[in-house]
Amino acid sequence: MEQNVAEEEQWIAAARKGDTAAFGRLVEAYQNPVYNLAYRMLGNGPEAEDAAQEAFIRAYKYLDSYDPKRPFSTWLFSIASHYCIDQLRRRRIDWLPLHEEIAEPVRLASASPNPEAVVTERDREAWIQELMGTLSPTDRAAVTLHYWYDCPYDEIAEVLDLTVSAVKSRLYRARRALAEEMEGEAYALQTS
Amino acid sequence: MRCRQARDLIMARVDSQIDPEGDRALERHLESCDTCRLEWQKMRAMDNLFRSATVRPAPPHLRTRVVHRIERRGQARRAVVGGVTLAIGASALAVLMIIPIGWSLFGSLGAAPALLAGAGETVAQLLILFTGVTRVLVALLDRFALPFAALALGSLFAALVLNGLWIATLRRLRVAR
Repeated sequence: MEQNVAEEEQWIAAARKGDTAAFGRLVEAYQNPVYNLAYRMLGNGPEAEDAAQEAFIRAYKYLDSYDPKRPFSTWLFSIASHYCIDQLRRRRIDWLPLHEEIAEPVRLASASPNPEAVVTERDREAWIQELMGTLSPTDRAAVTLHYWYDCPYDEIAEVLDLTVSAVKSRLYRARRALAEEMEGEAYALQTS
Repeated sequence: MRCRQARDLIMARVDSQIDPEGDRALERHLESCDTCRLEWQKMRAMDNLFRSATVRPAPPHLRTRVVHRIERRGQARRAVVGGVTLAIGASALAVLMIIPIGWSLFGSLGAAPALLAGAGETVAQLLILFTGVTRVLVALLDRFALPFAALALGSLFAALVLNGLWIATLRRLRVAR
C-alpha cells in the first residue's frame, strides 16, 4: 500500500474501462493486506486465498460503484470483511458468547504466570489465531483492522457498516474476552 | 476512582490515548486495587501479543489468478452475449422466412384480400382467417403428418444437442475460472 494516490487513481480509472492489467496493479498493491485480513478472520491459508480472490473479483465487478472520495483501501477492506463474515456465518462456528458479562478476574496476581512469558513457549502466530477463533465474525474483523492496520474507530465503522460507538463497544468487549482467554490458557499451561 | 472508570482508563492507556492526569489517577488506583491491577496486566499482555503479530504475505500467484479469473469472466460474458445474439438472429431469420409462406397460404384461401378489404369487416375477416388457418393446418397435418412428425422430432433432437453443447461450453468456461 505504498503507491501514491495519483498512481492508484490512474489504475482505478483504467480498470473501470476494462483494463485488467491496471486492476492487476491494484491487486498487487493490496494483496498482502487483503490476504492477511482474510487469513486472520478465517484462520487458514486456502480459505483466506479463496476469500482474497473473491474480494478482488467483487471489487472489479463493482468498481463503478466505488466512490473515489473515499480511500480505496477502506472500500476494499469492506468488501473483504463482509465476504469473510458471510463465510464464517455459513460455517456456523460456535464462538464464545461475548454478549454475556465476563466474570471478574480472580487469578493471575503476582504469583500467577505471565502470559507474555508463556507465549515464547508456543507458536505465537498459532496462539493468536486460536484466540481470534474465539471471537464472533464481526469482532474478528474489528480486531484485525485495529491491530494489523491501525485503523481508527471511524474507519473501522465505515468498513463494517457500524457506528463508531458500536465499534468502540465491540473492541472493548472483544479485547477483554481475548485477555480472559489468554489468562485461561496460560493458567492451563502452568497447571498441566 | 471507581473500578468501572479505571477500566475505561485501562483501555485508553492500552490505546495510548490517556491524558497525563488520567494516567496518574489510574496508577494510584492500580496501586490500591488488586482486581484492576490484574485487569491492566491482562490487557497489556493481550495488547503486546497482538501488536507483535506480523502481516501474513499473500501467495505469490494470487495476482495472476485474480487477473486470470477476471479475463475468463469477460470471455464467458462475451460467449453468452454472442449466443443470445445468434438466437435472436436465427429467430428473426425464421420469422422472415415464415411470413411470405404464411402470406401465400392465406392468399390461396382468400384470406389476404379479406384482411386488406377494410376495417368494417374486421371481425368477420378474422373469423375467415382463423377458419382458413385451421383448415390449412388440418389439411397439412392430414397430408404431411409423417414428414411433419419426423421434422418435429428431428428439430427437437437438434435443439437438445445444441443446448447440451452450449451448456457444456458454459460449464467449461466456469470451471476454468
